Amino acid sequence: MVSPSAPAATRAAPSGAVVHNGAVLEVAGVVTRFGKTTIHDGVSFTVGRGEILAIIGGSGTGKSVLLREIIGLLRPTAGAIRLLGTDVWAASAAELTAVRTRFGMMFQDGALFSSLTVAENVATPLAEHAAVPPRLLEPLVRLRIAMAGLPPDAGAKMPSELSGGMRKRAAIARALALEPEVLFLDEPTSGLDPITARAFDGLLRVLCDDLGLTVVVVTHDLDTLLGIVDRVIVLARGKVLTDGPVRAVMALDDPWVQSYFSVRRMINDEGEVTNGV
Amino acid sequence: MSTAAPCRLERAGDKQVLHLVGDWRLPHLARLDGALAALPRLGPAVSLDGKALAELDTAAALLLVLTLRDAGLDPATALLDGFAANHARVLELVRARLAEIGVVSPPPPRGWLAHIGHAAEQVWRLVVGHVNFLGLAVAAAGATLARPRTLRLKELTVQLEAVCLNAIPVVALVTALIGVVFAYLLGMQASQYGANIFVVDGVAIGMTRELAPLLVAIIMAGRSGAAFTAQLGTMKLTEEIDAIRTLGLSPVAVLVLPRVFALMIAMPLLTFVGDVASIAGAMLVAGPMLDIPPPVYLDRLHTALALRHVIVGLAKAPVFALFIAVIGCRMGMDVSRDTRAIGASTTSTVVQCIVAVILLNAAFAVTLQQLGW
Repeated sequence: MVSPSAPAATRAAPSGAVVHNGAVLEVAGVVTRFGKTTIHDGVSFTVGRGEILAIIGGSGTGKSVLLREIIGLLRPTAGAIRLLGTDVWAASAAELTAVRTRFGMMFQDGALFSSLTVAENVATPLAEHAAVPPRLLEPLVRLRIAMAGLPPDAGAKMPSELSGGMRKRAAIARALALEPEVLFLDEPTSGLDPITARAFDGLLRVLCDDLGLTVVVVTHDLDTLLGIVDRVIVLARGKVLTDGPVRAVMALDDPWVQSYFSVRRMINDEGEVTNGV
Repeated sequence: MSTAAPCRLERAGDKQVLHLVGDWRLPHLARLDGALAALPRLGPAVSLDGKALAELDTAAALLLVLTLRDAGLDPATALLDGFAANHARVLELVRARLAEIGVVSPPPPRGWLAHIGHAAEQVWRLVVGHVNFLGLAVAAAGATLARPRTLRLKELTVQLEAVCLNAIPVVALVTALIGVVFAYLLGMQASQYGANIFVVDGVAIGMTRELAPLLVAIIMAGRSGAAFTAQLGTMKLTEEIDAIRTLGLSPVAVLVLPRVFALMIAMPLLTFVGDVASIAGAMLVAGPMLDIPPPVYLDRLHTALALRHVIVGLAKAPVFALFIAVIGCRMGMDVSRDTRAIGASTTSTVVQCIVAVILLNAAFAVTLQQLGW
């Protein structure tokens, strides 16, 4: 096991809510450089089973890059990533494929296969990696589509016929197809209307609590953060600035964190806009 | 995971109890399905017992719910006994969506007659769209030519470099090689009659009048027509064309006209390059193979090749260019918002351009024949 000891990562002491036993994901000392630009300079954290972890940070802090490194699409310059007990960047192709059937990834713009209908998109991972009896395949695909909050007739549509929000939900349906143990979401609620976004949050919570799903989400949706997320990691200046429950992160004395959350404080619970600055 | 049966049906008086055991998850779905199918018929008063259930995911829950429904039971009222709270919630999650996963009937397949009709209608729409776009481009061109200062010179030079300058090597290579092949083929026949020298007539007239314009047009269809569709299609997809419109500019003036003009200027020039390259290519093999040394070849060329053949060839080129550019641009401006559409449109552009060029060439041949040119 790679010990998640970051040489220089500054960590705020999490206030007890963080579960570290049975780590699903360990990121240890990840360094990423593109040419002379350093994106990550020793990023380390651990995610336990059943947790919903949010990664936040300003533009260009490498949130999506980190996600791509975790799921084995982009090799980090240095450091180790252990996902579901497999070292992603030391594993053989067969081991990596085995891991890939155990997590789901939802890309920012959906990344649906444009030549397939929504139903075929959702059926693809099921047909490739699961021994689903043929009679059950269609209901299962429709269940995934319904779980993602799409109307039943969306299954027969092509991705190009869907609106941005529906495309996103179709991508979620495909990511959930194989009952993944870990779900990676890149900006899942951006472009969704608030009602759909909250319904999606609710679905995530149910899946986490009842199926033991672990969720790693890159998001800027403050309602998602406050509503369902167990833990927040703030990336800044190539490091993990802080790692802890939302309330603890909100209280952190850092200019970026403070201005990030102050947007929220301007609108109080009565819905009146108050100047929180 | 245990090898014990994942479920068993027990009878308690007039009631049935379905005991669920172990790991009910997607990887075991086939086994679970088999075990449920092997059970005796479920009665109306069956209750589910989940005390021994280790895991339950939505796929297995769906199987369970569907099995209950197929047995004529209402899954909503099925009695749950001893289920862990999370398993009950998963079951509820699936049950709540049962109505939505009912069978949606797919649209009926089309008959062959309907297929033909549909295809014919699409071709008709395509042609009408092209004519419409051609009119649009000509109107915009008229407006631009009336006020030449509105012509986008920078874009025009960029396009000229791309479609003309950069195309010279490939055009020269292809036409020179066709010239070689043409001379060789004619020479084989002509030498049987000792009429070697007439190879020069054949190559010069055939290449300048017919083959060079046609070859250049086909190269341009694949090279520039396809590029226009891909460029404008990508711009359409990234909403750049909408942005141009929003800024109060005309996409036809900004994007289409420079491309049309550039190709219409480039094609006669490239055709001339093709004429020269093919005649030179033929001269290259005429010496060693047909005993026609270059001075004799050039002398014969001078007498055999009337200027009108070259002019006919060069005059056809801008007309081909107009059609290639208009088809290429129109197909690009017209892609649907779908990344797959760009590939399909680009392919279609090349096919349409080549068909259009060959049709035009035939029309030219018949017309010029009648005119005695």
